[in-house]
Amino acid sequence: MMNFDVTAVEVVTREFVAVILAGFGNELHPLTGEHGDVPCPKALLPISNKPMLDYPLSWVEQSGIKDVLLICPSSHRPAISHYIHSQSSSASFSSVHIDLQTFDESQELSAGTCSVLRHFANRIKEDFILIPCDFIPPPSLPLSKLLNKFRTDTMSDGSIVTSCWYEHKLDKQTTPDEWGSPAKPTPIVWDHLSGTLLYVDSPHEAVKNSDELELRMTLLSRYPQAKLSSRLLDSHVYVCKRAMLDLLAQKTRFDSLREDFFPWLCKLQYQSTKQEKYATSIRIGVIIHRADDGFAIRVNNLPAYLEANRHIITENEIHQFVADTSIGDFTRVEEKSTIKKSTIGKHCVIGKMVKIVGCVLLDHCVISDGTKLDGCILGNSTTVGSKAELTRCVTQAGYEVKDNESVQHEKLDISDWAAQPEDSEGDIEDSTGEEGSDEDED
Amino acid sequence: MSPNTASSTGKDKLIADEEEVLQAVILADSFNKRFKPLTTHKPRCLLPICNAPLLDWTFESLALAGVQEIFVICRSHAELVKTAIKNSKWSKPGAGLKIVPIVTAKETFTPGDAMRDIYTHGIITSDFVLVTGDLVSNIRIGDVVREHKERRKTDKDAIMTMVVKQSGVNHRTRSKGDSAVFVIDPETSKCLHYEAVTGYPPKKYASIPREILNEHPEVEIRNDLIDCSIDICSVEVPSLFQDNFDYGDVRRDFVHGVLTSDLLMKSIYCYIAKEGYAARVRDTRSYDSISKDILSRWTFPLVPDDNHPGGHSYEHLRGNKYIAKDNSVILSRTCKIGNNTLIGSKSQIADNAQVTASVLGQRCIVGAGSIVRNSYLFDGAVIGPNCVVEHSIIGSGVHIKESTRVERGCLIADGVVVGPQAKLVPFSRLSKRREDSDEEDEEFEDAEEHCEAEDDDDDEGEDADDEDEVDSELEDVEANQDPEALAKLGPGTNAIIWPLPAVDEDEDIDELEHPDNQRLMRIGDDASDLVLSDPGSVTSSESESDSESDDDDERFYGSNPASSTTSLPLSTPSNLVAQADSAVISEFQQEVKQSLDRAFAEGHSVDNAAVELKTLRMASNVSLRLVREAVIAAMVSRIKIMAGGGIPQRQEIASMITRWGGLIDKIGGVDAVETVDILQEYCASSDRLPLFGQILAALYQDDIVDEDDIRAWHGNPKSQGQNVKSTSLQDSYNKCWVTGAHMIKQFDEQDSDEESEEESEEELDDDNESRDPALPSAGANSSEEDSCEESSDEEDEGNTDEDDSE
Repeated sequence: MMNFDVTAVEVVTREFVAVILAGFGNELHPLTGEHGDVPCPKALLPISNKPMLDYPLSWVEQSGIKDVLLICPSSHRPAISHYIHSQSSSASFSSVHIDLQTFDESQELSAGTCSVLRHFANRIKEDFILIPCDFIPPPSLPLSKLLNKFRTDTMSDGSIVTSCWYEHKLDKQTTPDEWGSPAKPTPIVWDHLSGTLLYVDSPHEAVKNSDELELRMTLLSRYPQAKLSSRLLDSHVYVCKRAMLDLLAQKTRFDSLREDFFPWLCKLQYQSTKQEKYATSIRIGVIIHRADDGFAIRVNNLPAYLEANRHIITENEIHQFVADTSIGDFTRVEEKSTIKKSTIGKHCVIGKMVKIVGCVLLDHCVISDGTKLDGCILGNSTTVGSKAELTRCVTQAGYEVKDNESVQHEKLDISDWAAQPEDSEGDIEDSTGEEGSDEDED
Repeated sequence: MSPNTASSTGKDKLIADEEEVLQAVILADSFNKRFKPLTTHKPRCLLPICNAPLLDWTFESLALAGVQEIFVICRSHAELVKTAIKNSKWSKPGAGLKIVPIVTAKETFTPGDAMRDIYTHGIITSDFVLVTGDLVSNIRIGDVVREHKERRKTDKDAIMTMVVKQSGVNHRTRSKGDSAVFVIDPETSKCLHYEAVTGYPPKKYASIPREILNEHPEVEIRNDLIDCSIDICSVEVPSLFQDNFDYGDVRRDFVHGVLTSDLLMKSIYCYIAKEGYAARVRDTRSYDSISKDILSRWTFPLVPDDNHPGGHSYEHLRGNKYIAKDNSVILSRTCKIGNNTLIGSKSQIADNAQVTASVLGQRCIVGAGSIVRNSYLFDGAVIGPNCVVEHSIIGSGVHIKESTRVERGCLIADGVVVGPQAKLVPFSRLSKRREDSDEEDEEFEDAEEHCEAEDDDDDEGEDADDEDEVDSELEDVEANQDPEALAKLGPGTNAIIWPLPAVDEDEDIDELEHPDNQRLMRIGDDASDLVLSDPGSVTSSESESDSESDDDDERFYGSNPASSTTSLPLSTPSNLVAQADSAVISEFQQEVKQSLDRAFAEGHSVDNAAVELKTLRMASNVSLRLVREAVIAAMVSRIKIMAGGGIPQRQEIASMITRWGGLIDKIGGVDAVETVDILQEYCASSDRLPLFGQILAALYQDDIVDEDDIRAWHGNPKSQGQNVKSTSLQDSYNKCWVTGAHMIKQFDEQDSDEESEEESEEELDDDNESRDPALPSAGANSSEEDSCEESSDEEDEGNTDEDDSE
C-alpha cells in the first residue's frame, strides 16, 4: 500500500518544485545490496566522498528553487531522512526545504516513474522539475538554463515540457562485462533550430521494426531539417508543466517515462487526431548537452559509478596525494602503500604495501597488508585479507575477502547473511552497530 | 558569358594543363509522358522554356560549369534532337563544347537502360556529370566536381555526388509528387539513406535503417532539398547499372540500391548547394515554376536579357517584363502587360488585351480583349479576340479562335485549331487529328518556317520514324473520341481530346506516375481536394482504444477517409513491406520453378541450372533456403511413385538423385542439415512422405548428406515437428523423424560391431517389424500405408547393400 501522508500542503505561490526520485538502484547491485538488515540506498552512495544525492540537490539549490519533494522507497526512509537532517547536508542545503515522501515497493518489483508520478500528483500543485537522484550535472549546465528554456518555450508556443539529453563519449569499455553494460543511448530525433524533441525511440518500436526507424512524414514536413542521433542519453531531467500530470493521469498504462510516455508525447506534437482527443497542442523542448561542454553522467550502473568517481574530483578534499586521488576523512594509510586514480572513503584503514589503482573504496573499508586492488569498487565496510588480489571486482557492503584470495571480474555479493559465520567485525551483522558507526562518521 | 568563357577554359588550355576533359552525359529523354500531347511530335528536351529549348538551357548550364564534352543520349525523336544539336550555337567552331548525340535503342525505357547503353558504348573515360535534358541551373558544378575528385582520392568507393539544393518543404520548384528524404552525415555529407517520397497517396512513414546509426551515430534527416538531378558520377557508375540490370531510375533504384546493398560497398555523397539555382523541368508544374524562376531572375546569369540560350535578346523592363529587342513586337496602346512576362519578337498584342505572368513565343498574336494569364504560348500561337487563357501551355501554331475559354491546366499540342466560342474544361489535353496532319502541316508551314530550324524540316520524316507506341497511342485516342465533347471545341476544330489520365488495370503503373500523384505535377492544379497531410494523423483511431498500442491500432486497423473518398486502397507501410516481401518471395518461387522446369525438361547440365538459380536469387535477394526448398521440391515432386514400390521405386529415386542431386550443393552454399530439414518438410507436407527414407538414403549414398548431418538434423527438436501447428502434419514429421532414427541406429550399429553385419541386419529387420505398427496408427495416408512400409524396408535394404559394398 502507498503511504498516504495527511499533512496539508500549504498554499504558496512558487514557480517550481523539484521532484527528486530516489530508487533502489538495482543496476548498481551489489553496492546497493543490503548490509545485514540495513539497506544501502542508492541516493547515499558516495561519489567522490559525497552522497550522490548532494549533486542534484546542490544543482537545485543553485537555481534558486526552494522546495524539493524527495521520493524514496519506504525502506530507505530512515537512512535518507537521517542524512538530510544531519549536519553535513542541512548545513549545505539550508535554503532548501525537503519534503521526504515514500512509496512502498519491493526491490524486485519496482514501480515505473509514471506510476510514482501519478501517485504523487496530488502533492504537486505547480510546474515541477523531475530530477533523478543519480544525475551528476556538469558545471556548464546550470539548472537555470533548462528553466529559462522552459520559460521562453511555454510563453511562446505552449511547450509543455523541457527535457535534457546529454552526449556521453563512450570510452572503450574498461569494466568487465560481468558488471553489466553501460547505459545504451536511445535514438532520438530533434529539431536543432527550435530545440524541439520530435521522436524518442521506444522498445516497442524497436520490437515492432527492429531494422528501421519509422518517422512520420508529417514530422519531417514540419521539421525538415531534423537531426537523428544515437549518441545521446536521457538525463531524465524534465521541466514540466503541471498539465503534464493530467496527461499522465489519462495514460494509466504507461510505466516508464522514457520508454512509454515520451515516445507517445512526441507524437502528440504532430498528430492532429491525438491533439483533438487530448484537446491540446504541445511541444517538447529539448536541450542537448554535448560531451565537449562538460562531463555529465547518470550514475545508474556500475561502469557509470566508477566513471563518475574518476571524473569528479572535489575541491574540498584535504588529502590529495596525487591529483587524481581523493581520500576521505579519518582514513589511515600505512607505509609503503601506493594509491593511484582512486577514491577512498572515510574511516578506512589501509595496511602496508597495499597497491590500489583505479578503485573506489566506500567508507569503513579495511584493507590488510600486501593487498593489490585494481579497478575495484568496494562497498561499505568491505574487509580484504592480506595479500589478496582483486581485479575489477565489486563487493557488497560488509563483504569479506579472505587472505591470499585472488578474484577477477566478479560481483561479490552476500546472498545469505546468516550464512556468514566468520564475520570478524561484530557490527556487520549487527544493524544497530552499523548505524552507530554512521553516526560516528557524522 | 557562356561561349567565350567556355572556350577560354576549353580544350587547348586543358591539354596544356594535362587535365582530364570534363565529360557530361545528358539523358535527353524524359522516359515519361507527363507532357503528352505536347511531346507527341517533339521530344520534351526541345520544348521551349522562356523561348529557348530546354536542351539549350542544359547546354548553357553545363558550359557555365566548365564541361567540355557532352554526350546527349536520345531515344524518342532522336533525329530531331540530332538536328537541334547540329543547328545549335554550341556546334559552331570555337564554341568550346563538343557535343555528341548518341541514339539509343527504342527499347531504352528507363534512365537505367540509357546508362547501360553508355556502358556498352564505352565513351566514359573519367568522372562525368550526369544531368537530364531539362535542366536549368547556374550552380557551379565545377566546384562539385572538384570536391568529388578530392573525395575520390581518399575514398575510392565514393562513386557519386548528388547535387541537391536547400529550400523549404513547400518551395514551388520542389515537386510535391516526387520528392525525397535524404539522410546525410552532416560532417561528410555522405548520403546514408535515400527515401523517395510520393505525394499521393501521401507517404506516412520514412523508414530509416537502424544500422546506419552504428557507423554514423549522428545524422541529419533532410526533407527540404530539391533534387537537381545533377550527379557527378565516377566511371564505375555505368558499369554498376550494367551489373544490376534491374536498376531503372537513377534515384529510386540506383541510389537506393547502392545505399541499401551490403554487397556493393559503394558510397554516395550529397552536395548541398546553398547558393545558386538548379531545377529540372520534370512536369508541367515545374515547367510553370521554373519559367517564373527564370523571369524573376533566380537563374542569373542565365536570364532572358543576358545569356539567353536561344540567342534572343530581350529588353528587361521594370516588373520583370521582357520584350524582344528588335522592335518587332507590336503592342497596342491599350493593351496591358503585367509583371513577369516575356514577349518574343514579332508578336502582337491587340487592343485591350491583357497578358500577365506569361511567356509568349515569337510571332504570337493575342487578339483584342483577350486575357492571357499564367500561360505559355509557343511560337506562332494565335489567340483570337475575347479569349481567356489561364494556366495553360499552348503549343506552336495553335489557333484559338475568338471567344474561346481555355481553363487552367490545358495542354494544347502544336497546330491545333479550337473555337470559335469553345469552352475547354480544365486540364483538357488536345492534339491535332492525325489523318489530316499533312494538310495542317502545310497550313502552318508558314509559321514554322521562321522558327528555330529544328522544328520544321523533320516534321514529315519524323512521323515516319516515330515510335510505334506513340502512333498506337494516338490511334487509340483518335478511335475513342467523344463526338459530343468534340463538338464543344467549336466548328473549325481539328483537335482530338486526350482522355483524362486513368489507371489502366492491366498496366503495372508506377506509384509515381499514378494519375493522382501526377495531379501534383500538373500545371494549374492546386490539388486542394487531395488529402496530402498524413492521413494517419487525421484518421488515427486512437479514440477507440486508449492503450499503449494505439499506434498499432491506428496503423494497422485505422480506417481511412482518404481511401474512401478516392477509393484508393492505401496500404499501410508495414503491410506494404510485408506484401512486397511475400510478393517477392512468391514471384521468386515461381521463377525458380519455371527455371527448374526448363532445366528438367530440356536436360540442362547441373552447372548451368545452378548458374541460373544463382542469378535468380541475386536478382530477388532472397535467402538461400528458399532456393534449396525449390530445388528439393522440384526434384522430389518429379520422382514417380511406383505402384509396387520396391526396387523400381528405389531405382527411380536413385536415378533422380544421381542426375540432379548435385544441384543441391551448387546453389551457392552447402548446408546438408538444412537439406534434410527441407526434405522432411517437403515430404511431410506432400504425398511423397513414404519416399522420405529412400530419398534420404539416396542422398546419403551420393554423399550429399553424410552421417553427421543426419544426426544433427535428428538432434534438432524441429525435426520432430515441434513447431508444426497441425497435428496431422506433426505426425508426418514424426514419421520422418522415426525413419531418420532408424538410419542413425543403423549407423551406430555399423560403427559398434562392423564384424557382425549379419546380426545387425537381422536386428534391423526386427526394428522394421516393431516400427511398422506405429506407422499405420499415425494414419495420415492410409492408402499408402503399404508402399510406406515397403519403402522403409527398401530403404533399409538399400543401406545394408551399401554397407556391404563398403
